[in-house]
Amino acid sequence: MTVLAALALLVSACGGGRDDDDASDKADKGGNGGAPASGPGFDGKTIKLGVITPTSGRVAVIGEPLTNGNKAYWDYVNKELKGVGGKYKVELVIEDSAYDAPTAVQKYNQIKGDVVMFNQLLGTPIVNALLEQLTADNIVAQPASLDSFWVREQNLLPLGAPYQIQAINGIDWWVTEGGGSEQKKICTLRQDDPYGEAGQAGVDFALDKLGMTLADEATFPVGNPDFTAQITQLQGKGCELVWLTSTPTDTGSALAKAAELGFAPQWMGQSPTWIGAFVDSPLMPYLQKNFIWVSEGPEYGDTSAPGMKELLRIQDTYAPDQVPDIYYNFGYLESKAVHQVLEAAVKNGDLSREGIVEAMNSIDEIDFGDVFGTYGWGKPDDRDPPRANSIFKPNPDKPIGLELVVAEHEAPFAKDFEFSSD
Amino acid sequence: MSFVAAITGDDLWQTGFSGVAVGCKYALIALGFSIIFKATGVINFAQASLVLLGSYLTFNFAHTWELNFYLALLMAMAAGALIGVVIEALVLRHMVGEQPATVIMATIGILFVLDNLTTAVWGPDNHNLGDPWGIRTRDVFGVTVADRDLWTIAFTAAVLAGFFAFFRFSTLGLAMRAAALDPEAAMAQGIPARRVYRAAWAIAGLVAALAGATLAAGATQLSPATGSLALIAFPAIILGGLDSPLGAAIGGVIIGLVQQFTALLAPEYFDWVGESFERVSPYLVMIVILLIRPYGLFGTKEVRRA
Amino acid sequence: MSTSRTMALSYLDEVKLLRSPRRDPWRWAALVAAVVLYLWIPTYFGDPGLRIMAMCGIFAIGAIGLNLLTGYTGQISLGHAFFVGVGAYTAAYFGGERGWPLPAYLALATLIGFTVGAVIGPFALRLRGNYLVVVTLGLVFLGEHLWNNWDSVTGGGNGISLSQAPMTLGPLDFKEGIELGGEAYTFEQSFFWLTWALVAVTALLAVNLTRSRPGRAMQAIRDRDLSAEVIGVNLARYKVGAFAWSSAYAALAGSLYGLLQQYVSPGEFSLFLAINYVAMIIIGGLGTIVGSILGAVFVWGGRSVIEQNSSIGLFDRLITNGVGEPGWFTIGEANAILFGLAIVLFLLFEPRGLAALWFRVKTWFLTWPFSY
Repeated sequence: MTVLAALALLVSACGGGRDDDDASDKADKGGNGGAPASGPGFDGKTIKLGVITPTSGRVAVIGEPLTNGNKAYWDYVNKELKGVGGKYKVELVIEDSAYDAPTAVQKYNQIKGDVVMFNQLLGTPIVNALLEQLTADNIVAQPASLDSFWVREQNLLPLGAPYQIQAINGIDWWVTEGGGSEQKKICTLRQDDPYGEAGQAGVDFALDKLGMTLADEATFPVGNPDFTAQITQLQGKGCELVWLTSTPTDTGSALAKAAELGFAPQWMGQSPTWIGAFVDSPLMPYLQKNFIWVSEGPEYGDTSAPGMKELLRIQDTYAPDQVPDIYYNFGYLESKAVHQVLEAAVKNGDLSREGIVEAMNSIDEIDFGDVFGTYGWGKPDDRDPPRANSIFKPNPDKPIGLELVVAEHEAPFAKDFEFSSD
Repeated sequence: MSFVAAITGDDLWQTGFSGVAVGCKYALIALGFSIIFKATGVINFAQASLVLLGSYLTFNFAHTWELNFYLALLMAMAAGALIGVVIEALVLRHMVGEQPATVIMATIGILFVLDNLTTAVWGPDNHNLGDPWGIRTRDVFGVTVADRDLWTIAFTAAVLAGFFAFFRFSTLGLAMRAAALDPEAAMAQGIPARRVYRAAWAIAGLVAALAGATLAAGATQLSPATGSLALIAFPAIILGGLDSPLGAAIGGVIIGLVQQFTALLAPEYFDWVGESFERVSPYLVMIVILLIRPYGLFGTKEVRRA
Repeated sequence: MSTSRTMALSYLDEVKLLRSPRRDPWRWAALVAAVVLYLWIPTYFGDPGLRIMAMCGIFAIGAIGLNLLTGYTGQISLGHAFFVGVGAYTAAYFGGERGWPLPAYLALATLIGFTVGAVIGPFALRLRGNYLVVVTLGLVFLGEHLWNNWDSVTGGGNGISLSQAPMTLGPLDFKEGIELGGEAYTFEQSFFWLTWALVAVTALLAVNLTRSRPGRAMQAIRDRDLSAEVIGVNLARYKVGAFAWSSAYAALAGSLYGLLQQYVSPGEFSLFLAINYVAMIIIGGLGTIVGSILGAVFVWGGRSVIEQNSSIGLFDRLITNGVGEPGWFTIGEANAILFGLAIVLFLLFEPRGLAALWFRVKTWFLTWPFSY
């Protein structure tokens, strides 16, 4: 009895009667070249894109600038280019995932009928959780992480050189040009989860090709309160290069402990290890001496790359309060990639689910104006991610605290790394 | 993959010290839990959010307002105490006498509110606390000791001493012990229960701010995740005995030592147990101790009458 | 609960849940209405709403289990998330990886949950109150460690997908959507029916349990276990039994959860989930089965409602989606704050939960015109 009352309450709140669309989610295919027919997320005038990102909780520090980047780019497209194809404005539907898989799945199901595709899904566990549904619903999404597993997925639109490639290029650079050699001891310090495993996979591949062996592997849980054990382990093995796969908070903890214990190898970190706040940290002197950051593209603010010039201008115009931030840049590039897919789809006159997939497969390459490497595109089996990475070192006087050392280093065996779907 | 390595005696001492240092951080958090439990019989889940708020307040006073760090710390402690009192007056006072599960739930509700208020006000970004200890270290008998850790240990000792003096020598402390033992009898003796509870929450807020500052000090950055460490305090207070502050502190140190030694030794000798076993080992140790002494090391045995 | 209409004529009479329509008209009416609602809801609501309601049902099953343990037997447990995980991974492994049929892996999950609960139960014999709470908390962490590291079975940090798990019961395929009487239904509709049917079955089981001898024993243990022992209640049997049954319920809820999400990963069975369950039974009403269901609907459904409506009207000015829009709180923060406030306010005004609230309303009507 009481349950009825409760359900009645829910009834009024859940709202939304059932449309016939729910049961059969097919949109009509538009004719080729004609105006795209309306369908989920597209009403003939506006294209809606989904964003599921943590805007609360501990990962919001990444989710917020990412989404800011997404939004700034579309503001630019809507205002200056008058929309996709010069006609269709883009609107973002943003939902908070709180970095919690069930919440993300729920939000996904809530908005999937309202969007053409997803501009951003943040979090490897969340992308993993949604992958089945994306395939079943045939919706395309942009994962905001650089895992190699995304490369061969039909329904994912990844960008950037994956973590494994970063490790490969980083290790190769150090051994050949960066002050290392094949006799030195190389170790890893990584998170104990799939992200950490991705970095490890890259290091293993590189060492194998160079004919070297790993001297030590230390793992830690996210949010590790004290790194003494890991640092003493690495120190005891006499590591000379340590490849770091972590997130900023743990980077700070680990390297602080290393500084305190007098352990000063060459540290090399993947792209998510850094954050601009390190500039003011007491750790900065140590970082300047011992840390190298691996990512892609030119130095922030280097306008010789056409894409960078555009990025800076758009940031100044549409997101003036945003401080230089690597995640903002990533979000901006995500939208740039999505834009290219949408343009192709509009040209084909088909913004339905199948139309987006077809448009995606028909593109030869996705271009980022050299801010990130050009991504060879096509059908999933033909996709070829960028194979080069840039090397940076900390410099408190530069924006985001990073200064370019070498642009676009590519290890000779980087192209040999094969991507398979998991 | 296990790598044969020499774990030197130095390593063991170093790990031991780090265990004590980490343990003192837990101890400070646990002391906050302990005082509220001792006075009111409630496990306060909101303590974690008080710790988080305390660290952000310290950051605000030290960094944004640019005051002397120690002054900022004192101010944060005072603010923490105030917030504790406010929570007690607004919510907990009305829940006296309710079932413990209900009160625990209310503190969980407060946890959600405070945590998110904190990130709403200060934003989700990482910050540097601005403490003067940085990453400076000194050498003590062959063990490298960070200034920050020394201060943490000193704070813990000071708080413990303060508690001891408070409970032994001050009237309010005596009143608190009486009220914890038997609220009705205490009230019959004229002890104002309200004042006792309020004092307990004030002290808890104060200690939480101190704990928060030590957590975020050094090169560890302040972030919304800072409060999640407070969970580890639970095995600490249970280990030590719920109603014993000394137990809470010792429990914290034990947990810290267990964690650090597990992290050092497990990958070498027990790597079949999986990665990051140090997250689980404190609980296992706690369970073992509880099997031998079900009320914790220093807890008072509950007298049960039919 | 007796009605004011009739007297119970015998013990058997008293214990019956549903007497003849003439003597219990309100209950029969409610039953009919419930069945009608059950059948009608999926035909009216959109899939996203149904998904939320199915999730409420899943939580309800778990909450009933937890209430049996905490509300009826007085053993506060923060470890429920562990048992939910046990069920979910069992279903994922045997259903998803091995392809066992639906009734088989659901039953197995429940059985394994029962067994694991029975193994953990003896701890409760030694530990009391708050000490037990924290030991059960340790279970959650132990579980997370297990899910993360037992790669061959759980897929480690990457989790397992359940997309290959068969979901057919005879001619009814719940995954593709059942087809009855010529109509094809969607996954969400079918799943709603499956879940709430199970809720009804498990609730009935639980109510019967509590109204009979074991139930009385459990409640005696909750109230004064020393006295219960003195009068001959076998503490060991009932405490361990309570753990076992509550874990069985949790495991069933976990397997359904895995089926709904089509994917399980270690991070989902966290302290947060355990806290949610405790919130549900406290807000719903400790020691009542109906309360468990109400609490589940309130906590999960309420959160969803807050999330869906927090951008309207009054809140719009306060809330920003974090991106350029003016406002103080992001949606996620606002939701969490509202949720926390809702819990606190609710407990301030009705600490005994929704069931007690309902009881008050009902009594008011029943004792009319003498209600006060």
